[in-house]
Amino acid sequence: MPREIITLQLGQCGNQIGMEFWKQLCSEHGISPEGILEDFATEGTDRKDVFFYQADDEHYIPRAVLLDLEPRVINSIMNSPYANLYNPENVYLSKHGGGAGNNWASGYTQAEKLYEEIFDIIDREADGSDSLEGFVLCHSIAGGTGSGMGSYLLERLNDRFPKKLIQTYSVFPNLDEISDVVVQPYNSLLTLKRLTQNADCVVVLDNTALHRIAADRLHIDTPSFAQINQLVSTVMSTSTTTLRYPGYMNNDLIGLIASLIPTPRLHYLMTGYTPLTTAAQVASVRKTTVLDVMRRLLQPKNMMVSTPVHRQANHCYISILNIIQGEVDPTQVHKSLQRIRERKLAQFIPWGPASIQVALSRKSPYIQTANRVSGLMLANHTSISSLFERTLNQFDKLRKREAFMDQEVIQQLVDEYQAATKPDYLAWGTQQASGSVDRI
Amino acid sequence: MSKNHLNKFEMKVSHQTRCERLIPEKGRERYYKNKIPYKTAKGRGTNETETLLLQKLCCKITGLPEDVILPVLQHALRIVGSKVDPLVENDEIQVAERIKRRLVRRGRESDAAVFSDLHRKLQSQGVLRNRWSILHLLLSLADSAPKSDNATSRSGLGSSVFGVGLPSHATSTPFNPALRHLQHPTPGSRDVTSLQSMTHSSGSSGISSIRSDINSNDPTPVPQSFLPVTTFTHVDQDRNSRSTGMRLASTLTDRGTESSLMPRGARTVIESGIPINRGDNTSYELPESELIKDIVYTFQGIDGKWIKFDPSKDAYRIDSQAGIPKAVRQLVGKLAECGWLFKKIKNYVETKTVDKTFGLVGQSFCASLHQELTEYYRLIAVLESQLHQELDQGIGLGFTGLSLRQLFVWTFDPLHRLKTLATVVDGCKGKKGGALSSSVYSYMLHGDPFIASLIKHILTMVAQPIYCTLVRWIYDGELEDTHDEFFVASDPTVKNDRLWHDKYTRRILLTGKSINYLRQVCKDTAPIKGREKSIEIDRNNAYVMFMQDTTTEFQNIIDEAYKDTSLHLLDVLHEKYKFLDHLKAMRRYLLLGQGDFIRHLMDLLEEDLAKPAGNLYLHNLTGILETAIRATNAQFDDSDILKRLDVRLLEVSPGDTGWDVFSLDYHVDGPIRTVFTPECIIMYLRVFNFLWRAKRMEYILAMIWKNQISNARMLRAIPELTGILHQCHVLAAEMVHFIQQVQYYINFEVLECTWDELLTKVKEAEDLDYIIAAHQKFLDTVTARCLLDEQSREILTQLRTIFDLVIEFQAAQDNFYSEATQELDVRRCYGHRRERRSKEGNWEVTDEEEEDEQLRRISFLKQIIPSTRARLTVLSQSYQDMVRQFLVMVTTHQDASLRFLSFRLDFNEHYKSKEPKLQSPFMYRGLRHVT
Repeated sequence: MPREIITLQLGQCGNQIGMEFWKQLCSEHGISPEGILEDFATEGTDRKDVFFYQADDEHYIPRAVLLDLEPRVINSIMNSPYANLYNPENVYLSKHGGGAGNNWASGYTQAEKLYEEIFDIIDREADGSDSLEGFVLCHSIAGGTGSGMGSYLLERLNDRFPKKLIQTYSVFPNLDEISDVVVQPYNSLLTLKRLTQNADCVVVLDNTALHRIAADRLHIDTPSFAQINQLVSTVMSTSTTTLRYPGYMNNDLIGLIASLIPTPRLHYLMTGYTPLTTAAQVASVRKTTVLDVMRRLLQPKNMMVSTPVHRQANHCYISILNIIQGEVDPTQVHKSLQRIRERKLAQFIPWGPASIQVALSRKSPYIQTANRVSGLMLANHTSISSLFERTLNQFDKLRKREAFMDQEVIQQLVDEYQAATKPDYLAWGTQQASGSVDRI
Repeated sequence: MSKNHLNKFEMKVSHQTRCERLIPEKGRERYYKNKIPYKTAKGRGTNETETLLLQKLCCKITGLPEDVILPVLQHALRIVGSKVDPLVENDEIQVAERIKRRLVRRGRESDAAVFSDLHRKLQSQGVLRNRWSILHLLLSLADSAPKSDNATSRSGLGSSVFGVGLPSHATSTPFNPALRHLQHPTPGSRDVTSLQSMTHSSGSSGISSIRSDINSNDPTPVPQSFLPVTTFTHVDQDRNSRSTGMRLASTLTDRGTESSLMPRGARTVIESGIPINRGDNTSYELPESELIKDIVYTFQGIDGKWIKFDPSKDAYRIDSQAGIPKAVRQLVGKLAECGWLFKKIKNYVETKTVDKTFGLVGQSFCASLHQELTEYYRLIAVLESQLHQELDQGIGLGFTGLSLRQLFVWTFDPLHRLKTLATVVDGCKGKKGGALSSSVYSYMLHGDPFIASLIKHILTMVAQPIYCTLVRWIYDGELEDTHDEFFVASDPTVKNDRLWHDKYTRRILLTGKSINYLRQVCKDTAPIKGREKSIEIDRNNAYVMFMQDTTTEFQNIIDEAYKDTSLHLLDVLHEKYKFLDHLKAMRRYLLLGQGDFIRHLMDLLEEDLAKPAGNLYLHNLTGILETAIRATNAQFDDSDILKRLDVRLLEVSPGDTGWDVFSLDYHVDGPIRTVFTPECIIMYLRVFNFLWRAKRMEYILAMIWKNQISNARMLRAIPELTGILHQCHVLAAEMVHFIQQVQYYINFEVLECTWDELLTKVKEAEDLDYIIAAHQKFLDTVTARCLLDEQSREILTQLRTIFDLVIEFQAAQDNFYSEATQELDVRRCYGHRRERRSKEGNWEVTDEEEEDEQLRRISFLKQIIPSTRARLTVLSQSYQDMVRQFLVMVTTHQDASLRFLSFRLDFNEHYKSKEPKLQSPFMYRGLRHVT
């Protein structure tokens, strides 16, 4: 089965959201926690092979590699009903077992040492696929393992699989809370550099926004990790539905993200999801139309990235992809788009054509949802730079006049996002280049 | 006054009331007055009954209930009472004298002389007994008639009143209209004119023309309603007896014994009205019996001694030599019409019965005509036997036998029938089959119920074969129509798969078509239910076919048969032949719905399709197709569907690459071929070609993008190239946006929306034609929206140009990347060399080497940057121009749905801000109009 995707779960956070993701995929495809295809799911027209491989006729195993430097989360997975789902050879726990101590450098160097072992697993997985599409990396950027080891893996994956896509689901730290990790800004910045240079697409999962959504939208005062991770896994599974349920378009990762990312570095995507409900709220959910869904997706409160509104910078959308699931009348799509344009609900880049892409995706027949229509938005918005700026600012406070190379890359990224809000973005690189030619 | 008589009288009363409704208020009183003499004459002595009857009459007329009728009744009684004892001389002589005096007073001495002469003759004959009453009546009529002429314009009223005034005539025989003509030749009387007109119409004029004749000939405007009223009585009576001939015969045979049917009074009147007397004929006159003999011959279409057929004039002529009075001539002429008509019909029947090509409908038409003629023969037989009896018995047995007048009376009804038949025959000349039955049906709408019932009979006969054919067609799908009469025609040369479309030239058609289709193509032989129901409508009722406006019975049968068979057919199509599965397969494969499969197929084919079209080998491609199926979700498809999937190479034109000629194909056979006709498949292939091209663009751009991502990482080492890279990225992003939006447009506006519609229609379909139509519409819409129709030719060309620019850009970028990568390699080598030397303990580079390297780098940059930049600038310029032009074309296109495309392509109005043509108010209007 072509266009396989290998999922790499790194660290505490990465494994937690990864596990939720696999739970979700299993239920959507009718696969039991043991990896056995349920009787009711044998007739499916879904593509399980993108994320799973078949050990035998009915046994499906996730194309997942679980990596951590400390045993807690992986052990909890191995003690859960889903223990037998994974290929045990793909679960790698550092023998050291001491973790990375929330230190990027520790994670990075440990990964360096474990290179052979880790890449044995990854290579084996890659060999097991017919035509590997790429990797999906789940991690957080603030901790030690996810950020440090993640950064290392990104660099090495680039070297080893230069033609393969790397998409990451990166959890950004909650900035509203006073972090117990003092070096968090260091970790973030160092990871951001790798994400900018070595990843092809980064789906930003902002803990700040996730907690806000949990509190404001779901009315949970102190959301648990599980509840937050539930949100994340919804986003992850929905963003891959077009890959798992083949249709006319967006059948591969590259097709999906190529239209979202115009220039290689502007590859940070925000997500939004609607309707956001918890099980308790399901009964009171209103009926939703395509227009409702699309309009709500454009509201900042449904975005899973908290970006302070910068009035000075004219932030705008570079691209938008709405993946809408459920019973949708295809004729509604055009009408909804028309409304959104008439009311100017979305501000687009001034330097090129841009529009809201709408993909209608099938919904798993095995999961009953209360919502007739649900939608996920993947958006490339220039305001994401504020997240980096925030990291830079925090970093600035910490660095005490010491110069770091890494910071420059992120500053450049912030600059580029700023430039992308202006019509002269078309000539952005030109000035730089001509400048350098002159210098020569 | 017998009780029997009274009953008849009552019957007449009810009839009168019907007449009265037609008389306006003003005329009504006079009407009563006229009626009264009769009442007094006949109803005297039965005061009880009279009052009762009067009451009933009043009720009937006024429509009031009995309890409130009293004042009216009293008034009526007063009127009647005032005339109960009229001062009439109960003396024949006196009355005769008065008549004579009156005639003299009016200056008609000669008439008076004739009258006295005639009166004397009558007295001597002794045939008439109630001479006084008749004379009195004639006198009082003579008193009232001129008055009414002056008073009102309704001159006909008198005669009609007269008709009803004589109860015996009005009630006992159907011949009273004729009697009226004889007895009452009042000038201007409408009945006379109608008679005249009837004789006029003895030609080939239609029945309808009789009506017009009445209108045109009638000097006085007469309410049309009168004639039908008189004929109504006929029909009412007709209904009871099976045929006129029979009735006539019985009347004639019963004549001697049951003369009450034709009361004596009446008969005397008839005879007294005859101008020539048999026993009193003069030498130059032909004896009436001779004439009657001739007439009877003529009735049979045979030339008599004196009356002969003149083919040149196409009419019967009386020998001008024969001594016949003018009046008699006229009468004979009228009688001869019967013969003429008979001859005409007989000729038709005779010629058509031998005509082998005339068909079943024609044959049954002839048979029905023949039946009618048989009735006519019976009449003639009776007449003839009467004639012979007379000759045998001789004359002078108290009453005379046949007279011309009698004949005229008796043949009045048959004449009417013959006339109708002749008209129908005229109308049907040269027609056959359905046309014949249709033209017979057209007479059915005739207002005269007498004619209508006659036609109905014929129609029943005529419709029978059609009905039989129809039943066979509806229930068996077999067409047994050896004479090409049925409105469904078949062409046996047509092959089975074309059966549905070509072989048969609406529900009936569809029903039979469905069964025939099922039997022949689907080999389905399940019996069709509901057949018994149709048999229930027995064949004698076949005329209901033509009575759709009045009865729904036939419609119901057809509807039911139609519904049953159509549903059965659809069932077979869906269940046995998996129509919907094939339809979905078409969408998945030919319309690229199975995205993963298409994508993988492109991956595998890429290499082959880049070659010139001539170098492609079908078996290689088929192998690749198999691989693609096995590797993707297509593998889970029904093996029957996958078996049908194939590769097809289109016609190669010079310069084509594999991409231009490659096509998927889907083999259809058997019943589903009816929907997926070769024409449809061609349309699918055209759409496939378009979608395939668009998909290829998506594919190319995905590769371009992927290259950019990886190269951007590598070429970071040469920061001088950032500008060019950025230029590439931005142009590629613009192209990606364009192609993606085109694809979204295709996905939603072209495929999803129309597909949705098609599926709904297929689900609600009740017959195959509906599905075929829906499918055709689906294809038409898809074709039009894919810019594949005539009107979009230019736009399509423009789109192809844009596609070409994408390919050109790919080449340009690949070229740039390879040169840049090469440079990178050279630099890497240089770096390695320096490292190696450093490790070896030597100087990394000499000044000379470094200078060379710097110069090489500068020359590389000087060479690659401006040229690539220029190429990209030109490319991007022409690309943007093309896109803007494309947008202008799409925006001005007639098809509104294409504007969806322009809307999507320029969602953020990027192009609009750059293209003045897109900003013109005209365009705006166009857009607004659509939305």
